[in-house]
Amino acid sequence: MESSKHKWMPYVWLLPSILLIGIFVVFPILIVFRLSFSEISKAGVVGGFVGFQNYIDAVNLPAFKTVMKNTFWWVLSVVGLSTLLGFIIALVLNQKFRGRKIARSILIFPWATSLVIQASVWNYIIKYEYGNLNNVLLNLGIIRSPINWRVSYQVEFIWECGVGIFVTIPFVAFCVLSGLQSIDESLYESATVDGAGFWSKLWYITIPLVRPSLSVSTVLNIIYVFNSFPIIFTMTKGAPANKTDTMVTYLYMLSFYDRKKGPANALSVIGFLILCLCAGVYMMTVMRKEDEG
Amino acid sequence: MKKINRISLVLLAAGLLLACLVMALPLYSFQANVYTKKSSNTFVGDEKYQEVRAEVEAAAQEYRDQGMEVEISETVTERVNSKGETTSLVAFSIGQTFRKSIWSFAGASLPASNVLRLMLICMVLAVLFAILGLSGGTMETAPLHLPKKNRIFRTLSGVFLLADMVLVPVFVLMNNVTFWRKIDLYNNELITDGKEEFFAKLDSFLFGGGMGENIDSAVKNLSCHHSPLVWVLLLCFFIALTAVIRMRSGEAKHPVLRGLLYVFVIVVCVVTIYPYYVMFVTAFRTNAETLDMYFLHMAPTKWVWSNLKDIVSRGVPRFLLNSLIVAGGATLLALLCGIPAAFAMARMNFKGKKFFLGFVIMSQMFSPVVLLIGISQLMNTIHLNDTLFGLVCVNAAFNQAFAIWLLRGTFVAISPEMEQAAKIDGCSTMRSLISILLPMAAPGIVTTLIFVFINAWNEYTISTVLISTANNRPITVGITQFSSFNMIEWQYLFAASLLATIPVVILFMMIEKHLTSGLTSGGVKG
Repeated sequence: MESSKHKWMPYVWLLPSILLIGIFVVFPILIVFRLSFSEISKAGVVGGFVGFQNYIDAVNLPAFKTVMKNTFWWVLSVVGLSTLLGFIIALVLNQKFRGRKIARSILIFPWATSLVIQASVWNYIIKYEYGNLNNVLLNLGIIRSPINWRVSYQVEFIWECGVGIFVTIPFVAFCVLSGLQSIDESLYESATVDGAGFWSKLWYITIPLVRPSLSVSTVLNIIYVFNSFPIIFTMTKGAPANKTDTMVTYLYMLSFYDRKKGPANALSVIGFLILCLCAGVYMMTVMRKEDEG
Repeated sequence: MKKINRISLVLLAAGLLLACLVMALPLYSFQANVYTKKSSNTFVGDEKYQEVRAEVEAAAQEYRDQGMEVEISETVTERVNSKGETTSLVAFSIGQTFRKSIWSFAGASLPASNVLRLMLICMVLAVLFAILGLSGGTMETAPLHLPKKNRIFRTLSGVFLLADMVLVPVFVLMNNVTFWRKIDLYNNELITDGKEEFFAKLDSFLFGGGMGENIDSAVKNLSCHHSPLVWVLLLCFFIALTAVIRMRSGEAKHPVLRGLLYVFVIVVCVVTIYPYYVMFVTAFRTNAETLDMYFLHMAPTKWVWSNLKDIVSRGVPRFLLNSLIVAGGATLLALLCGIPAAFAMARMNFKGKKFFLGFVIMSQMFSPVVLLIGISQLMNTIHLNDTLFGLVCVNAAFNQAFAIWLLRGTFVAISPEMEQAAKIDGCSTMRSLISILLPMAAPGIVTTLIFVFINAWNEYTISTVLISTANNRPITVGITQFSSFNMIEWQYLFAASLLATIPVVILFMMIEKHLTSGLTSGGVKG
């Protein structure tokens, strides 16, 4: 269809987009890479090449182990539980019932709200002295005296994971819902005729058919959750002593509070490589679907 | 009469009758002091003790003669005084135990009474609509062949039964507040407002107004317990609900599962709305009330609308405007760059198409957070640090992937025939894109537009790093000025949050339907 003299035309159409991504996404990546191998003074003056010194410094930081462990548990618990709960909620919301539209609109609230606002609200809810949760539970007669919801940093971290799950569920639920809606009703009908029960229909029809949506949403979630910054930053700021930090909040503290730009850049690259790994898995999933469809 | 209709009617009647019966049981038990007698210099067993004991026994007998259930208890306090002698004080008290049924609340003017009345109204309405749904000989009709009018009536009946289920925990809550927390706070003088009025209400409900002046001491050690049987009410209403579901949709829909589905959905919705409720009510409380651990009111005692006025004077409109500029600009830029790219991806064949696709997806992977240092360095170099335009660019760039993705999905779904015809007529590619494809793709474009807008509006991390001037802050960063380390002004924080949240939630609800299809056709599936 395209004549040969217009061979370069498609690239002109792509150019604005390439420029935008190139300058504001690819360029920072290069900067971070270069800085991670350079000596950087506290004031931010970039010195010469130092090899892997920044990486060695980063790994030897006292909080490094805790932060990596936290990041692992943060991603695992938030992605795992929100996928499970989101899947169940999607199954329920896929039923036909009156008020389904309202329920869906309500479920979308956490997705549409800024994370920093969600985190602030939960921060208030779980306060010991005046938090709303204690008041509601007291009024309901479930507890007889206020509970300190933030006794230790471990508990605070669990709360942060809880808020993470809360805000991630809508995304999973809507991804699964979109998968569920593309399933042909007649499959279930014929399965019912064949005498299949609820569980076997779930196991042999629903799960295999929503697996593509589910796997894409899971990989995207891993990336989003890994990158999630505002919840932890708002609720604990990583306190005490980086014990509730994940990699991205630690990175921020390291670079903009402690002024340890060198190790911070090294950590950035490590995080970037972990994301690349996830991105690779994601690409493979999407591309395979592309070939199929 | 159809068997299924008969069974349903019986079930509905049984459920509601059972509920009425449960309400008539003495489920609430109270214990209060009706009589106290202190006797100093008295040792257990001595002459004085016997004397006072007999006196108390007589008093108790008097109460028993009136048909009250009373119990005598005594406490002994022994002390060694300054002279080294042991003194002892014996205090007798007569505690009355009495039970009340849920029905008895109906006549009182307590908060729970209003809930009970509402519950009863809902029950009556549920029955009424169930009966209306039976009109016109539909008892002979199978549920699936009901006329529309009858189905609507039966649905309404179910709605009121669900409302009844929600009201049960509210009733328990109100009583806990009244008989435990509020009395506790009055007794410890943590609150004083309206004490007399409140105690008078208690007197008339608990003692039929007989306590008069003594009500203060009578409720001093008042304890209130409700039997777990209260929760059976939930089951009663649930039975009635399944009956209505059966009448409406027949056996085909598994009435019990169906009922559980409604309950599950309600629970999920309540939990989801909870933080928004907290945000809303806290935004209109006074500062003192936000920090008050004794507050008893689910709503502010006084709605402080001036909170909104206060945040206006503290720069919130400016922050909102900045957010609008950033989000609007980012959306515009993302679409201006994204539409041509998506068009090329959808309509043209060229070398490196797959490579570009990969490039775009990869860029989606990296949220700006990991690249924070790189971005701030870059912005310093090109002097876009601390400018709104810098934020516009970064937001647009990081939303490029999703924009192209959604738009390409939309364009692919539209047949290229019209454009080809236009081309034969001598239209340029650009013209056919603008005048033919874009109008047809409008729904998809609007979805993309709103999605990018919301993402940019809610962005926080990059803005904290890039923006240092107070006047350039978008709202997400601006609200953090209300929460410093030593003092958090919750009411302002949430009032500003409310303003920042409402518009985007409405926008998101508008594209909700397209979002589901967009995620498959464009965003995720590719």
